[in-house]
Amino acid sequence: MAQAGEIELRHITKRFDQTLAVDDISLTIPHGSYCCLLGPSGCGKTTILRMIAGHEAPTSGDIRLGGESVVGLPPARRGTAMMFQNYALFPHLNVLDNVAFNLKMRGVRRAERHERAREMLAQVQLDRRFSERMPAQLSGGQQQRVALSRALITKPRVLLLDEPLSALDEFLRLQMRGELRRMQRELGITFVHVTHTQLEAIAVADLVVVMDQGRIEQAASAHEIYTLPASAYVARFMGGQNVLTGTVVTIDGGVATLVDGSGARFATPVKSPAPAVGQEIACCVRRDRVDIEKLRGPSPSPGEATNVAAGTVHAIEYQGSYVKVTIDVLESEQVVAHLADHAFLATPLDIGDAVLARWATEDVYLLTGDLTHPPTGVRPGPLQGRESRSRNL
Amino acid sequence: MRAPQAASSRFTSAPYVLVAPLALVLVVFFGIPLVLVVVVSFFDLDKFDIIPTFVLTNYSELLSSPLTYTLYAKTIKYALIVWAITLVIGFTVSYFLVFHVRSILWQMGLFLLCTVPFWTSNVIRMISWIPLLGRHGLLNQSLIALGLADHPLEFLLFSDFSVVIAYVHLFSLFMIVPIFNSMARIERAVIEAAVDGGASRFRVITDIVIPLSRTGIALGSIFVIALVMGDFFVVKVMSGGQSASVVAAMSNEIAILQYPPAAANAVCLLTIVTLMVAVIMRVVDVRRELSG
Repeated sequence: MAQAGEIELRHITKRFDQTLAVDDISLTIPHGSYCCLLGPSGCGKTTILRMIAGHEAPTSGDIRLGGESVVGLPPARRGTAMMFQNYALFPHLNVLDNVAFNLKMRGVRRAERHERAREMLAQVQLDRRFSERMPAQLSGGQQQRVALSRALITKPRVLLLDEPLSALDEFLRLQMRGELRRMQRELGITFVHVTHTQLEAIAVADLVVVMDQGRIEQAASAHEIYTLPASAYVARFMGGQNVLTGTVVTIDGGVATLVDGSGARFATPVKSPAPAVGQEIACCVRRDRVDIEKLRGPSPSPGEATNVAAGTVHAIEYQGSYVKVTIDVLESEQVVAHLADHAFLATPLDIGDAVLARWATEDVYLLTGDLTHPPTGVRPGPLQGRESRSRNL
Repeated sequence: MRAPQAASSRFTSAPYVLVAPLALVLVVFFGIPLVLVVVVSFFDLDKFDIIPTFVLTNYSELLSSPLTYTLYAKTIKYALIVWAITLVIGFTVSYFLVFHVRSILWQMGLFLLCTVPFWTSNVIRMISWIPLLGRHGLLNQSLIALGLADHPLEFLLFSDFSVVIAYVHLFSLFMIVPIFNSMARIERAVIEAAVDGGASRFRVITDIVIPLSRTGIALGSIFVIALVMGDFFVVKVMSGGQSASVVAAMSNEIAILQYPPAAANAVCLLTIVTLMVAVIMRVVDVRRELSG
């Protein structure tokens, strides 16, 4: 018997007219977990959320909550509650009535629902003096707390959050995502959180679901998504990896050597079933595992050394605890290295410097999945997010 | 130092310059005539001469005549009935257009359809009711042919019924436009949030749609009430001269050149309509909602 807050999607497909928004997705989100649906705009993540909520019906497939199919049930009878993007607070009701609204619809008496609304507002740490204000008089962070209280007041088993932090400034975003996580722990219910921000997803989620073009690319823990991406798409989308592609030339002792278009040689550990010689494969190496040294003397010819890329420094971005160095490599993808700040300061680099980037074979991770898959919308801007929302309406 | 000062003085006069054309139009075409009417309402009347003086006889005669109260009662009754009917029609049509017509193209098309009554002149629109509602009109003949009535229904034309029908026909659009406008501004996500919270379709209407369209409802109500209260033509034509309204009485007075009593009547009517509008504005803060 599945627990109350378990969500199971079985072969869900959703079409809008001729566009395929969600393409045969199956996923189980365990009870009491914090799940993030992550992907670029238009990948179908919001559509999935809205289908779980009951604001959209799947074209085919089954949605089960706590082991029972909820397809066709109205939102309020699913035990879910949704927190909308930009919150969708009722502009004509004050904070207290906004929070109490869902209880009013369930026929709870005025005194009691106001009492419970006050308790709820205290739980999300919104000061009492705001309870008589209208939504337009609140800051973004306060509106978010009101929206959260309104969603939670009916004690749902699943809370669905549609880009809950996108309307906040950076500082509040970091603060609120911590609070969302804390609330989820405290309540012990399932949270499903839609976002297009990689860092937001890996910061809060137990289960990160990376999506692209209506399909799930990988569903795993944040750590696994980040360090062991399932495909080149995930590695590129999450942004912490350098993706290397090439043709296998030798396999020896669990290490495959590949050669890319420019003739550079890379080595990667392989597990069985190992790729065959002559096969195109992709592997990745974490940015913080790449070392950079200034090139003294002539540039080595490609293929002279393994796991080395020669190039020129394209950009240097100081990130506080580390320095992000982007290197242009001839006839190949850019290589990005995250250098510890003290290491960088010991041997500073400048834009245009000729450098060698190198890494160890054991830090290379073999990627499976589709190589030809294009990395669409790797960094969607806020405008793109809005676009997808209006289309989803 | 001189330059910024000059700039700031120019800046402060700018709003007055900008508002001047509208103010001028209002003063010339609204302010001055209104003042004239009020002034004339205190003039005296001798046979057909108007004597510029200050007397209260116009008002005392007006307020002591039982006919005045009958006319006001009749006019307010028309206004309230027409207001109630156009409100229901306006709300229903707007609701359908905003929430049930998905494509913008259809929405605009149907919206334009609502303006069809305004494509012909007022007179023709009203006269066109006569062959439909008349004693030997289309409706009566059909009813008799279908055996639903054995003699022509008399109340269809030249009655309160036909007056109200003509008003509703003429003024529904003035209710539809403002309600449509405020309804169209309701965010869909807000409706969804209410559904998510367990609101039925009916509760969505009573708890979300009506409160959020109240500006449009108030504006439409002001339009319709002011239009009905100020009408004499529709009453005259559609009642066949059997019914009257305040303005119809006024027009009679003007026709026999009794300007001061007509002016006094106009001031009274203006006061009453202003009070009605004030009550509506009191219930709904139109100004705040228009700016917000």
